[in-house]
Amino acid sequence: MSTVIHTQGLVKRYGKVRALDGLDLDVEAGQIHGFLGPNGAGKTTTIRILLGLARATSGEATVLGAEPWRDTVTLHRRIASVPGDVSLWPNLSGGEAIDLLARLRGVPRRDAAFRAEKERLMHEFQLDPRKKGRAYSKGNRQKVALIAALAVPAELYIFDEPTSGLDPLMEVVFRGEIARIRAAGSTVLLSSHILSEVELLCDRVSIIRAGRIVESGTLAELRHLTRTEVSFDATTSPVGISGAHDVTLSEGRARFTIDSDAVNGILPVLAQRDVQGLRIEPPSLEELFLRHYGDDLTALEDAKVKS
Amino acid sequence: MSGLLPLLRQRMRRDWKQLLMWTVGTALLAYVSYTGVSQSYGTLQDRQELLVTVMANPVILLFRGLPSGAEQGAMMVFLIFPFLALDAALMSTFLAVRHTRMDEEQGRAELVSATPAGRTTPVVATAIHGLIANFALAALTTLAFIGTGAGVEGAKVAGFAVGCVGVAFLGIGLVAGQLMRTSRGANSLATWIVVTAFLLSGIGNALGTPSDDLQRMESSWLTWLSPFGWGENVRAYSDDNLWPAVLALVFGLVLAGLAIALQSARDLGESFIPERLGRTEAGPLLSTPTGLVWRLTWGAILGWVIGGLLVGMLSTSLASVVDQVSGDNPAIVAILEKIGGTDGSLEQATVSVFFLMLGIFAACVAVQVVSRARQEEAHGTAEPVLSAAVGRVRWLIDYLIIAFAGMTLVSVAGILGASLGLASADGDWGLMETIVVTAFGQLIAASVFLVLTALVFVLAPRATIAAGWTLIAVGSIFGLFGPLFGFPDWVAGLSPLEAAPKVTTDGVELNGLWWLIAIVVLVGAGAISLMRRRELAPAG
Repeated sequence: MSTVIHTQGLVKRYGKVRALDGLDLDVEAGQIHGFLGPNGAGKTTTIRILLGLARATSGEATVLGAEPWRDTVTLHRRIASVPGDVSLWPNLSGGEAIDLLARLRGVPRRDAAFRAEKERLMHEFQLDPRKKGRAYSKGNRQKVALIAALAVPAELYIFDEPTSGLDPLMEVVFRGEIARIRAAGSTVLLSSHILSEVELLCDRVSIIRAGRIVESGTLAELRHLTRTEVSFDATTSPVGISGAHDVTLSEGRARFTIDSDAVNGILPVLAQRDVQGLRIEPPSLEELFLRHYGDDLTALEDAKVKS
Repeated sequence: MSGLLPLLRQRMRRDWKQLLMWTVGTALLAYVSYTGVSQSYGTLQDRQELLVTVMANPVILLFRGLPSGAEQGAMMVFLIFPFLALDAALMSTFLAVRHTRMDEEQGRAELVSATPAGRTTPVVATAIHGLIANFALAALTTLAFIGTGAGVEGAKVAGFAVGCVGVAFLGIGLVAGQLMRTSRGANSLATWIVVTAFLLSGIGNALGTPSDDLQRMESSWLTWLSPFGWGENVRAYSDDNLWPAVLALVFGLVLAGLAIALQSARDLGESFIPERLGRTEAGPLLSTPTGLVWRLTWGAILGWVIGGLLVGMLSTSLASVVDQVSGDNPAIVAILEKIGGTDGSLEQATVSVFFLMLGIFAACVAVQVVSRARQEEAHGTAEPVLSAAVGRVRWLIDYLIIAFAGMTLVSVAGILGASLGLASADGDWGLMETIVVTAFGQLIAASVFLVLTALVFVLAPRATIAAGWTLIAVGSIFGLFGPLFGFPDWVAGLSPLEAAPKVTTDGVELNGLWWLIAIVVLVGAGAISLMRRRELAPAG
């Protein structure tokens, strides 16, 4: 497998702020790679550097074998991207914006394949292309950017929080498109702060926090990070449930966490005990971070307060 | 009507600084007209002579008021009233749209409508707010006129007339806000009505019937189609005839009532004229980044090109008038020659003075187009373009190319206008050399503003817009007024506009040209090569 994105010791400073602090990221060809982290962790900065829109203070970055800051234009012919916060030209219609962006990436004006693909995507995403940019809602602006990116085949797709503002139906359409890209053999870097989205879409995940990759691997490898919380009505603390961690009892409810791949195993036990008010909740990303990097976070908060 | 007072207070709080500038600015303009009249045309005889000349020149009448005699007060009103009324009109339409359609478009109106304030209260509050603003403007203008010592009665009438014209356009702004779906649409509809009404009244005056002694003009019927014309026909300091002003007031109030009725007849956020839909597919223009820049800036460029055409027309049609008026007024001759910087004929000097304006307009195109690059970057729409196969350097060069093309259009429009002026006034075609040389000289001078603003954009993006307009302000003051204020020659020469090539009796003076070209090439090349190292600098 060849490497599509490779960064080593990437540092980006804005004044005194270190937006990236030695970021090592590797994405192999054909992967759908989730780039996961809370807001402000450095996802967008990394993407800007990979697109040659910002320059690394130090460290190296290669994309498709080229250096993004120097070979920006040739590289961009092979990449499709959707920025995190989509803005459109207020006086251009959505259809015009899509055509413009495709042509800037080298699609000829009357290209039949592009037209057919654009038609299909506008139908799938239910976009009215005649509205002006200023009249679109956030979700519709997102759709315009997604259609512009998806309508032209690319070797690498970079999406920065692609489903923000989309309704659940459109999220399903987007997932379908990712499956199509995967089948075509392209590579995807998908940044997100929503764990479930990454779980649904990605083969591999890199977790970024405070400008560094803190965890990287396949979903199976990271499964230990995703513990599910189970709670039910109880008066006494439950015992004898295999795999249960952090068992507590408060306000009339028993709570414990369990590795996400072990949830099925405890269902018969719970059924046997006839528990009431059962809730099984996948962990939020915030909980995940608190659990695994809580000390760091506390230290970080303290440092901020002191400075 | 519950909620009226809080809404009114909120409008005042949001606007007071802006309204202070509008009203005080208008009053200052009124006061300055006094200095203009008393200095340039001190005696009754001077003013009578001026009026006689003016009657023969429709171009002047187009941009001035209605001549009502040579008394000092009447003369002031003739020279300045249309611009005072224009201030009041624009203040009122922007105010009306800002607090109705813009609030609605941005969702603030929805918050308010959800309270017991009700559907029409915001419009009523805006109308009252606009009335108060126009009252303030009228009162300050009255005080300014009183301050000139031209008489209290006429001052009150003039102020009242200005305020009434403002109210008429307040009504127009409120109705425009009901008709159009976006604040941009409503503002442009209202502004077009203001401009049309202004020109209608001017053309109507130019086509009017002069009195036998050529001291007074009766407007033609065209003037009576425009609220500006109503205000002018009050003839403050002369007839003090109030009923045309009352007509403007009633007209405005009726339209405000109509706007309130329209508001309660529609859903929030809807409009009576649906927004025009855009194209499904992009046209051939939107195939290159250069085409995109043109699409984003042509509207602004067009405005300056029309300005250039008008300046050109005025330069030659006025040149002949100046020759007649000032032939025996050595002070005016001296001033014109100083600003124009020529020892050529008076007509040449007049053209040079007007073409400094052409240079300023071209510089405005430059700053506006480069500012657009910054706005694209801050608004986030530069990012998708730069993420496609468009390099940073190419991206900047596109803006420079379009800016230079727009500036060239302004210069060409100036030459065209000047030729039209010559043709209409049966002028001296020998001026063409001066016209062409000065126009292209000013184009090179304006290019200095282009490359300097571009350099600021590359090095300190956030300062681009402020720096560009400051450069123009400083350059214009040095160029236009430096010679008047008696700045040393070398200070005035610091302004590129003043250093540009001119035609003198000895032929074309090219000293400054090489300096200007050297600066443009060096700074331009510097900006472009530094762009290689420049990152995207989003807002914040």
